Amino acid sequence: MNVATASEDAMAMLAAEGRAVARDEAARLGFRLALPAQILVLFIAVFPLLMQLYISLTDWSPLSGLGWWNAWELWNSFANYTDLAADKRFWSALWRTFVVMIVCVPVEFLLGLGLAMLFADDFPGKRLFYSILLMPMMVVPAVAGYMFFMLFQSGGPMNDILSALTGSRVAIAWLSDPTLALAAVMMADIWQWTPLMFLILLAGLVGVPEDQMKAATLLGANAWQRFTTIVLPKMKTIIIIALAIRVIENFKIFDTLYIMTGGGPGVATETISVYIYKLTTQDLIWGYVAAIALAILLVLSIATVFAMKRMAAAREARA
Amino acid sequence: MSTIRLENLVKKFGDFTALKTMDLEIADGEFMALLGPSGCGKSTTMNMIAGMEEPTSGRILFGDRNMSGVPMGRRGVGFVFQNYAIFTHMTVRQNLSYGPRMHGAPKAETDRRVGAIAELLQLTALLDRRADRLSVNILQRVAIGRSAIMEPVIFLLDEPLSNVDAAFRAVMRTELKHLQRQFRQTMVYVTHDQLEAMTMADRIAVMDHGVLQQVGTPLDVYNNPANVFVARFIGAPGMNLLPGRPAESDRGLVIDLGPLGATAPLPERLANALRGHSGEILFGFRPEQATLAGEGRGIAAQVTAVERIGARTIVHLGEGASAIKVVLNNDQQAALGASAIVTPNMDAVRIFNRATGQAIGGSGNG
Repeated sequence: MNVATASEDAMAMLAAEGRAVARDEAARLGFRLALPAQILVLFIAVFPLLMQLYISLTDWSPLSGLGWWNAWELWNSFANYTDLAADKRFWSALWRTFVVMIVCVPVEFLLGLGLAMLFADDFPGKRLFYSILLMPMMVVPAVAGYMFFMLFQSGGPMNDILSALTGSRVAIAWLSDPTLALAAVMMADIWQWTPLMFLILLAGLVGVPEDQMKAATLLGANAWQRFTTIVLPKMKTIIIIALAIRVIENFKIFDTLYIMTGGGPGVATETISVYIYKLTTQDLIWGYVAAIALAILLVLSIATVFAMKRMAAAREARA
Repeated sequence: MSTIRLENLVKKFGDFTALKTMDLEIADGEFMALLGPSGCGKSTTMNMIAGMEEPTSGRILFGDRNMSGVPMGRRGVGFVFQNYAIFTHMTVRQNLSYGPRMHGAPKAETDRRVGAIAELLQLTALLDRRADRLSVNILQRVAIGRSAIMEPVIFLLDEPLSNVDAAFRAVMRTELKHLQRQFRQTMVYVTHDQLEAMTMADRIAVMDHGVLQQVGTPLDVYNNPANVFVARFIGAPGMNLLPGRPAESDRGLVIDLGPLGATAPLPERLANALRGHSGEILFGFRPEQATLAGEGRGIAAQVTAVERIGARTIVHLGEGASAIKVVLNNDQQAALGASAIVTPNMDAVRIFNRATGQAIGGSGNG
């Protein structure tokens, strides 16, 4: 009996050892299999980031006649960052970007939510309208830019419509007026990105349990009460996701806007992306550009972490 | 409190007729079960009572009030959904107080009502728990409480026990019946489980294919099925139905069951009702209302299966149209393959017209 137990113990130990060896081997194999992907990530994410950090601490430019790796010869410590803090054009571009976001994202959200609620019920021609509604999202932003550029010409369709409505000849120079140009740019963004908001919110709305809605109705809740007590709380997570996507995307607003106004008139529609683009391609001060890009990356990362935390909290509250 | 009257109720979904016609009167404070297989129209009927669906034609009256066109939020109907439809993002308290809050009741009064209903349903300790982590029996109580707090005149329950395991169902049946006695509301209970209907309902409305088959007390429906469907559907196993023809004999009117032989003479009432009926009939008797013997007079058949269900034993005899089931006590023996004589209790025999499926002669002894 004892002998049997002892040998069983030995067997168990051997088996455990075997398992441990197998585990080690599996881990090694896993490491080897993941290695190419990790190296790739290293080159496409980590390396450029470090390179950017390096260049941002120098006055290096492609015209300086030095390879970027020799940028240390133009070392300026933190001069780029201190310049940044005092750069009025940078701060106003950042502020403008913020204004565009604060107007566009809520408008897109409200329009998207309204449309989603409309599309949650059936009506004749729903499929057709659905396709039409999603089309702006599929238009290449550069093409959308040209479309709106044409629309807002002083002899363009926008003024024609306004003329027809008011009965007198309207000839507004949309894209030459600082305020109106910004409004036009925002309209283009709202036109193009409301569909995405609509799509995400519709998915959320369809996911609201129908029987709970019926139960609420039976308990006497009217449409508005059902919306605030059932629909909104159930959609909280998806609303945060939709807003986060649009906030991040909107912060990077560039292509449509650049084609419509090129950031002008003057700097009236110059957002942060347009500003960086100009510094890169016209001023060619790449060290400074690198510093700006890093600063923005930092700000966006903090915002994203904040949003994710809110999202996790909402999920926690729901689970 | 209110009576419910359904008059010529019809519901069509496009080409599909969910409810062919329905006339039913439910008394004040009555517990009425709508019983039938899936797709029989029972849930459709209930949804129309609740106002979730509008009837294609016909009327629904609560007391004297015609409810057509009255939206579901204004009908004063309590509804317990099959999956309870608890607001999972709220606490138990928020669920219970939902109705009063939506009606703008003062906070103090809402709190008082929530307290009272929670006390009644033994939910007091759970009031601040989130509703998405509760067990089924608590969910059910919350669902009932959430409706009951509005003091609805009518309570509708849509298969509330179908998601619960068998052991728990027995507990919940007792609990539900107990609650109904406390609330004294008119209750309509939709189910496909005859045991639920039998144990809880004052009356049962049996439905099939969008047609009301029979309305009666549980015992009435069990003892005196109005037609072949009810006879087969009610009871576990359902009633034995053997094809045959009435035939005169020197002992009185008997049923000629063809190859199975002739039955014992029918009781007077049935015999009187059957005289002059020459067509084919179905000879019906409950599996519980028959004895099995090795020999003697009766229906001879071979034992094809023996099913032990614990308390009782179900013996299957014969095949096809002449298949018979007999429920015996466990101490009685029946060997597989053996010949046996089935002797139905003639007082409990029911006869049906084979062509129409309707019962002939009405109730025998009850």
